[in-house]
Amino acid sequence: MIRLNNVYMSYGGNVAALHDVSLHIAKGDFVYVTGASGAGKTTLMRLFYLAHAPSRGQILIDGQNITRFKPAQIPYLRRDFGVVFQDFKLLPNRTVLENVGITLEVLGWNKKDIARRVNHVLKQMGLEHKVNSTPQRLSGGEQQRIALARALVNEPKILLADEPTGNLDEATANQVMSVLKEANIRGTTVVVATHDRHLLDKHPRRVIMVDKGRISEGGDEA
Amino acid sequence: MKRNKATNRALKRPKLSGDAGGGRFGYFVTRAVMNIRQNMLVNTLTVGTITLGLLILSLFLLVYVNVEGLAENWSEKVQVTVYFESEPDPVTLRNLTSQVEALSGTANAKFVSKVEALNRFRERLKGQEALLDGLAPDILPASLEIRLKKGHRESAAVDAYVSRLKKIPGVAEVQYGEEWVRRFSTFMSFMRVTGLVLGAFLVLAVVLIVSNTIKLTIYARQDELEIMALVGGTKWFIKIPFLIEGIIQGSAGALLAELVLFGVYFAFLHNAGNFLSFNPADAGLSFLPLEWLAGLLAGGMLLGLLGSLTSLKRFVRI
Repeated sequence: MIRLNNVYMSYGGNVAALHDVSLHIAKGDFVYVTGASGAGKTTLMRLFYLAHAPSRGQILIDGQNITRFKPAQIPYLRRDFGVVFQDFKLLPNRTVLENVGITLEVLGWNKKDIARRVNHVLKQMGLEHKVNSTPQRLSGGEQQRIALARALVNEPKILLADEPTGNLDEATANQVMSVLKEANIRGTTVVVATHDRHLLDKHPRRVIMVDKGRISEGGDEA
Repeated sequence: MKRNKATNRALKRPKLSGDAGGGRFGYFVTRAVMNIRQNMLVNTLTVGTITLGLLILSLFLLVYVNVEGLAENWSEKVQVTVYFESEPDPVTLRNLTSQVEALSGTANAKFVSKVEALNRFRERLKGQEALLDGLAPDILPASLEIRLKKGHRESAAVDAYVSRLKKIPGVAEVQYGEEWVRRFSTFMSFMRVTGLVLGAFLVLAVVLIVSNTIKLTIYARQDELEIMALVGGTKWFIKIPFLIEGIIQGSAGALLAELVLFGVYFAFLHNAGNFLSFNPADAGLSFLPLEWLAGLLAGGMLLGLLGSLTSLKRFVRI
């Protein structure tokens, strides 16, 4: 599903953010990308949906070399991804329905279908009663689950979660992890970036270790 | 639609090519209106800035239009007079008048006989007519008074007109108040250049202020743009609601500016008599012509559209 061949990435200057990275994540896999802060986890994840372009190397998503994509093709690539951030990135002046529905709006769904689908996903998350609330009125855990709902509402092929449990207490973190596992069971490839060893121990899965911009462990499938 | 029933399989996606096509105009307008409602404070500030900027500009235009109208009235005083040594006979006069009237630039030509000239003079000396007692009735010469058309009343144009006039047989002595015409022309040129320079500065200032305000409001909504791009919004799908928002802000600002301008004009017209030595209602002050008002509205819309477009270029990079 995701394959990187000798990828280099720098933010300008001589310091490389990623150095000769090669890895493969199979369809339906559940993978952790781990490493110390600043090791390059987020940079690596952002490459998958072309938030950055690599300086060198090849990135294949579902068999397509996305480094050759024209700018106009990028939105269509991103529709195969669901992305969750540690800081949620919810729109404060929009309701939960609108925040989650934005993914479907982009796909051209009509209002009625969006409402139905969003309600369905919120029900799975146990948040259907919050559909008309704005994010400020929700707890951190609820906000993270809304962000997850936004990422999963169109059943993406790949879900990328950057420190999804970073700001949450253990019970809420477990809730979030079970949502990720459920999505994985339904066929979504899940990639979670985290530096939380506790999470890795509690929910053990394949681990890709990033260290100073290089893959130090787990780049290829076990 | 069975989309909502899809849980364990990939959702059926609509055809991608139609995602941001023209058929979605209704969606874009609704989105723009919702965005305005959800960002009321920012939008009010933007509309307020546009209103203020365009109000200053339209006040300037109003003053300019009226000063030019006033100058246009003064220019009617530009008159070319042909004097005759002796009164021409009716046939010669008719011939001469028709030749003068055929000259380009002539508005009308009026013959003033010696008797009429003396009568006019007498009228001007009202109360002191005795001064004229004993004078022969043919002391003043007969003349042909020519008024010029608009656009032929400035120094160079009058000079050219007079030299053409002098070529007509029978026209010998011509007077036209060269000094006054010269000063008037200088004044008109000065006014136009000053108006143009001031106007250009004002337009530049308004454009800069408004585009920077719009840039700030879009900057404040960077997250929204980022998320739209993240979930796969195409460039124009993201931009169009913002552009419509800009057009709505621009036209609302322009309409408000015109409304306030009309209020100011109306209040001035009816109250300025109290503190000015003349009553502006009698002075024939005019409001901006309809096409200028339409231009201002179009300018406001364009300002909103271009302000949004240039700002979005920085923040939407797909």
